[in-house]
Amino acid sequence: MIATYAPMFLMLAVAALVAGAFFVGATFLGGKLKVTPEKMKPFECGSESSGGNHLKLSVKFYLTAILFVVFDIEAVFIYPWAVQFKSLGWTGLLSMFGFIAVLVVGLVYCWKKGALEWES
Amino acid sequence: MGLMFALSPLLTLALGACLLMLAESFGKRRGGLALGTAMVFFAGCAMSAGVWLRGLEGLEGLDSLAPWLILDRFTLFFEGLLCLGGALAALLAGGYLPEHNLDRGEFYSLLLFTTIGGMMLAASGDLLTLFVGLETMSIGAYAMSAFRRASPRSAEGALKYFLLGSFAAAILLYGFALLYGATGHTDLVGIGQAVRAGTKTPMVLVALALVVAGLAFKVSAVPFHMWTPDAYEGAPTPATTYMAVAVKAGAFAMMLRVLLTCFGDRATASWSSGWPPALALVAVLTMTVANLVAGRQESVKRMLAYSSIAHAGYILVGVVATMRAPQASASVLFYLLTYTVSTAGAFGSLILCGRRGAEAVSYEDLAGIGRRHPAAALPFALFLVSLAGIPPTAGFFGKWYIFRAAMDGGFYWLTIIAFVNSVIGAYYYLRVLVFMYMREPAAGAPVATPMKSGYVTAALILSAILVLALGLTPGGSLDVVEQAAGAFKVS
Repeated sequence: MIATYAPMFLMLAVAALVAGAFFVGATFLGGKLKVTPEKMKPFECGSESSGGNHLKLSVKFYLTAILFVVFDIEAVFIYPWAVQFKSLGWTGLLSMFGFIAVLVVGLVYCWKKGALEWES
Repeated sequence: MGLMFALSPLLTLALGACLLMLAESFGKRRGGLALGTAMVFFAGCAMSAGVWLRGLEGLEGLDSLAPWLILDRFTLFFEGLLCLGGALAALLAGGYLPEHNLDRGEFYSLLLFTTIGGMMLAASGDLLTLFVGLETMSIGAYAMSAFRRASPRSAEGALKYFLLGSFAAAILLYGFALLYGATGHTDLVGIGQAVRAGTKTPMVLVALALVVAGLAFKVSAVPFHMWTPDAYEGAPTPATTYMAVAVKAGAFAMMLRVLLTCFGDRATASWSSGWPPALALVAVLTMTVANLVAGRQESVKRMLAYSSIAHAGYILVGVVATMRAPQASASVLFYLLTYTVSTAGAFGSLILCGRRGAEAVSYEDLAGIGRRHPAAALPFALFLVSLAGIPPTAGFFGKWYIFRAAMDGGFYWLTIIAFVNSVIGAYYYLRVLVFMYMREPAAGAPVATPMKSGYVTAALILSAILVLALGLTPGGSLDVVEQAAGAFKVS
């Protein structure tokens, strides 16, 4: 039982040994950290940072992403139905109509509420 | 067709919710939404009553839903009860939301969808449908408690509710996973049979502990009650009403189903080594802590929040008694009915006593209202008397049946503690009456003027009639709850 897991533990031990060796080696061989004002600044693509750090910005993609996830997950339910279409018969077809009708109600609601408008 | 008929309460609400959502997004005026929502709820009530009267015997296709949804009289009772709670909350919202500039139509759709979740919870016979129903119910409730978007208190309460609710759902789910691992079943009946057949393994016990903790959170029992006062106080009052009434009823339906179907056998339900002693301890803690803390509140809304925790404690006494007294689960259902109408009425009266910019919150806000506005104070007094459990109101018989069931089961000390607690509880309910009728407002402060709203008045009249009817003639409703509870027998 334990013997079957032995290679795994060996692998773990070797990994820990190698990683530890790197850390210890880097401490002895590498240069010392010199703190300068430039180094302690927040990094912003290499250019000088400007402005305050508490900005308000409209996260438009958030709503779109949420809507995408909602409809995408719901659309996933259609795949298994499509695969089993024949065997599910009329009951399956009618149920799927009902399901899609509910989806459409949700879509119409989002649309009318302006959730799909990017420019507003 | 028989299946459609049996499912008609759920389908009515689902259809109504979709139609109202469309009406809300297309229509410009929001005036009729509350009325429409209340109508859908009443239709749901009527449908469940219709199915109840017809009976579920001989309806074809019911088995095709097994074990996912169980359609029995227990389910029908809770469908009717949740619709009643939802209708009262919708009527209250119709008055409250426009008065306090919160009139956004989503509230009504949320109410309906949340109720569908609660109904599913009551009907579910499988851990998966149970969890889906629970989340449908909870997510709507989180959104409703955050409905006062401009208020930091509302946001705070809703965030606490959401985070703790998610943790509780995760704990419950962990329990479900262990239960599945231990028994190999996800349907409640199958789990019950496996638990009965097998010896009690440690895994089942750990699962039981996790499930009980998750359930206790959902019914806001001490020590899992921390979110309740903040969430109830921050939420708009109709949402508070709904959470206190319908969400709690749904949670108790789930508790009865899970505990009695899966763990209703002698091995796991015995007094020496099962859930009843743990739940009894929780019940004692819930009643005592909630009643002591409620007496110290300065906000009436917060006091009512603690009072709802205390009532959960009384109901838990009934749940504990189910293992020894056969009529205990019926008494739990009857208590939920009386608690629903009394609590909805009390919150509704609190809504009635305030108006735009001057919501009645503290005891001081209610000072002197009894003499100046007797029409607003009188129903409030009635509902508080009912919550305190004083005859001839519904609350008295609710407590009477719970206590009697506990006595029949031989839980004398539990009954005594519950009785002492209901006496303590009377103190803070009657304190509201003292402020309304015997105090004058502080110098310079005006007496609160009640708002005028046909919706709120209708909700109060309906709950007042039910409080008095259940208090004066409980016989008919007792038959109903006994039939509804007939689904459960502790073996």
